[in-house]
Amino acid sequence: MKEKVLSEHFSIDNFFMLDVYLKHNGYQAVKKALTELNPEKILKEAKAANLRGRGGAGFPAGVKWGFVPQNGDKPKYLCVNADEGEPGTIKDRHIMTHNPHLLLEGIIISAFCVGINTAYIYIRGEYENIALRLETAIDEAFQKGFLGKDILGSGFDLNITVHRGAGAYICGEETALLESLEGKRGNPRLKPPFPASIGLFQCPTVINNVETLSNIPSIILKGAEWFCALGLPTDGGTRIFSVSGMVKNPGIYELPVGTSLKDLIFKYAGGIKEGKKLKAVIPGGMSSPILKADEIDITMDSDALMKADSMLGSGAVIVLDEDTSILEVLKIITKFYSHESCGQCTPCRIGNSWIKKIVTRISRGEGKDGDIDNIIRLALNMLEKTLCPLGDAAAMPILSIVKKFRDEIETSIK
Amino acid sequence: MMKIYIDDREVNVEKGITVFKAAENAGIEIPHLCYHPAFPPEGTCRMCLVEIEGLPKLELACSTQVKDGMKVHTKSEKVVEARKGVLEFLLAEHPLDCPICDQAGDCKLQDYYEEYGLFDNNFSESKDRREKKIRLGKYLIHDNERCVLCRRCVRFLQEVVGTGEMGVFERGADTEVNILDGIQVDNNYSGNLAQLCPVGAITDTDFRFQTRSWFLEKGEAICPLCSRGCNIFIEYHRGFSRFDIPKRVYRISARENAEINSYWICDIGRFGYHSLDENRAEKIIANNNKNIKSYETSLAFFTEKIKQLFYKKETSKITLLLNSFLTNEELFLLKKIFQDDLGIKNIFFIDPSAGEADNILLTSDRTPNKKGAEELGFEITQFELSNLEDETEVLIIFGSYLSEIFSLSDIRAYFDRVPDKFLFTPHMSELDSMVGIMFPTAMTPEKGGSLTNVDGKVQKFSPVLEVPGDGKAEWKILAGLGSKLNINLNYYEDLLSPEEIFRQMQKEIPFFEK
Repeated sequence: MKEKVLSEHFSIDNFFMLDVYLKHNGYQAVKKALTELNPEKILKEAKAANLRGRGGAGFPAGVKWGFVPQNGDKPKYLCVNADEGEPGTIKDRHIMTHNPHLLLEGIIISAFCVGINTAYIYIRGEYENIALRLETAIDEAFQKGFLGKDILGSGFDLNITVHRGAGAYICGEETALLESLEGKRGNPRLKPPFPASIGLFQCPTVINNVETLSNIPSIILKGAEWFCALGLPTDGGTRIFSVSGMVKNPGIYELPVGTSLKDLIFKYAGGIKEGKKLKAVIPGGMSSPILKADEIDITMDSDALMKADSMLGSGAVIVLDEDTSILEVLKIITKFYSHESCGQCTPCRIGNSWIKKIVTRISRGEGKDGDIDNIIRLALNMLEKTLCPLGDAAAMPILSIVKKFRDEIETSIK
Repeated sequence: MMKIYIDDREVNVEKGITVFKAAENAGIEIPHLCYHPAFPPEGTCRMCLVEIEGLPKLELACSTQVKDGMKVHTKSEKVVEARKGVLEFLLAEHPLDCPICDQAGDCKLQDYYEEYGLFDNNFSESKDRREKKIRLGKYLIHDNERCVLCRRCVRFLQEVVGTGEMGVFERGADTEVNILDGIQVDNNYSGNLAQLCPVGAITDTDFRFQTRSWFLEKGEAICPLCSRGCNIFIEYHRGFSRFDIPKRVYRISARENAEINSYWICDIGRFGYHSLDENRAEKIIANNNKNIKSYETSLAFFTEKIKQLFYKKETSKITLLLNSFLTNEELFLLKKIFQDDLGIKNIFFIDPSAGEADNILLTSDRTPNKKGAEELGFEITQFELSNLEDETEVLIIFGSYLSEIFSLSDIRAYFDRVPDKFLFTPHMSELDSMVGIMFPTAMTPEKGGSLTNVDGKVQKFSPVLEVPGDGKAEWKILAGLGSKLNINLNYYEDLLSPEEIFRQMQKEIPFFEK
């Protein structure tokens, strides 16, 4: 049995309740961090752990914290990205549902490390019940003195507020999240400035994903070395992989970073349903480029997937079997991005809608010669030219699908 | 200062400026739609992408700050391709209704297509239909099909006027700018939206469908409708040799002046130009005197009247009504002739009544040169009919504002007592029939001179339009009067242009020296 960092206690009844959580070593990490360690030591440990962001971009969390200026006179904020909108991704919801206090511990320690007294959990609107559970957990933590003023006598204060989004995918992009949190339309901001210097309410802000922060308590308790050893030296720890699609056992699997994709699908998720053949895998949420069946002999870590021209993203593995129509997949993808584009920048606004129109027309049986080349051309005109990563998130899977499955799509055009 | 290279050209730039600004200063144009110098960079149109050596992606010229030694390419193959790509996106859903679009000829999309696009249309899908005639406010119509979503309108209303009547609605390809529910853009700066719009999405109802922009000439002028002295362009039609056109001026637009009006003007100034072509006085009106027909004989008659009183030492029987629309030069001549040469004390001002000031540009004083009149030494006493003394024999009136302020019967009652009345005015009014002679004169854009704004800034201007009919600019009439009276020997001989009058003014009045 592989060691689990996040989901070890998922099956324990009422683990989300503070008294149960405390019985299983709960809040020991906070105690250690606030009473035995200091922010410098925590930052050093976080950096040494090579904890990469679990939201999608894979940016090392410790490095991110280090960008926050420490001697300004403005307040600093921590925003927890619980928007979990990347199609296929269902990991953060399980952490927040079954182990909310682990997340709170992560928040407290990170905030202590960066010198933050106010944290927001920005949670996607659809997670209404989870938001309520988080609020209950926060109330419990307040009552026990893990939140509020002078936590555990350390002199450190922290307040956490849960804020529900309204269902826009783009609000998972960190600067759109900030805009939304400020009560504005959730449009991504022009960068630079980066949130670490000018973020929420124009103040220095750290934005971390739920899973990322939930790894912090274990790193504090067991050390960076242990964490790295769990995964890879450059990409530490475990990942909760969300496996969906045509597998026998879809669900979440917490496994070490660097687990083989083949194993994940065939060993852990039980292989393809009804004995069918594997056709392709989208390995890191919908915006990651697709892998064909013969490309899955690969380890699930940021570097390996980058080498394969894809990405680990949010660790959401979408498995497609031989019966899946690739044109249908393309249609779903283009429809999604066209709908979720915030609409402020030209290439993403028009590019996605244009490609969607072409794909929809092809699927109506009205495809024409040149359509595929046109899709490629338009996706390339979008790639790297948009204000935020959504343009790339759309262009990359579209390009990979059209290039790798050109023959199949062409049969729909003829 | 630091050194950067734009298209292999070495350029010295100030620290902290953007690549866009550096290129602009070096005379290199970078296409843009959402960027406007009045606002922080928006970075959404993506037209200004440039290549910067050492950076993996193309970067935005509008928001990227220069760094010492930076090498920027604005015309490399990568940039040209990206620009074409963005332009293709912008034009994909754009309605090609240029033939009926007010912006045609003056449109960034057209210009950029000519310059950077010239691709074939690859868009064979059906275009999304959108609302084409949304009434945004009294002066504004919005066409959502033409909109490129630069958000200049939204930002202007939020950041400059502070009223925020417009916002962005929907998202993705359905995104549109519109007015908030139940609100109209009816602030006094609404007309700027039409000028700010880089395409023909927001048009103003005053100009809509009136003419084509390529028929219009642009002349630099100063707005005379309040004491701010906003810099404007008068956009006028030169006309065709074979046809009469109904009017000369079709549009007033804001002309940038960082110190005075930035990039904006108010609606009063923008839409208040119709008086340039309407109801103009073009011919001399001489009541009860059939011998007077031409401008020259009229002026001779006028001069003779004054001369007679001067020689009889009865100039106290002259009353002079001025207004603050007159230029510094004209007021200077008036002061020289009537105050210094003739010793007249009965000098009053008759100006339109004050309005409400806003905290943006519009001042409560609705005349352009009160400050100038003060600096020239006039004591500005607003005229009341009771100021007219019984002994007054000659009444000289500039402007026809009298008839806007007092009732005609009151004016008539007082006027009847005065034997000789001379009116100098660019517009016809009821006063015309009550005076002896009415002399048609010029409006501000039809003459040269200078005005002193509320903050004491003296702004010179040249004539943009000709004086209609037989009308003459007041400074010309006054310079002639001065030399014909010849009380101050030879003083007026050389004052043959507003420039020469201004130089004389500078010699005599320290305020105008700078």
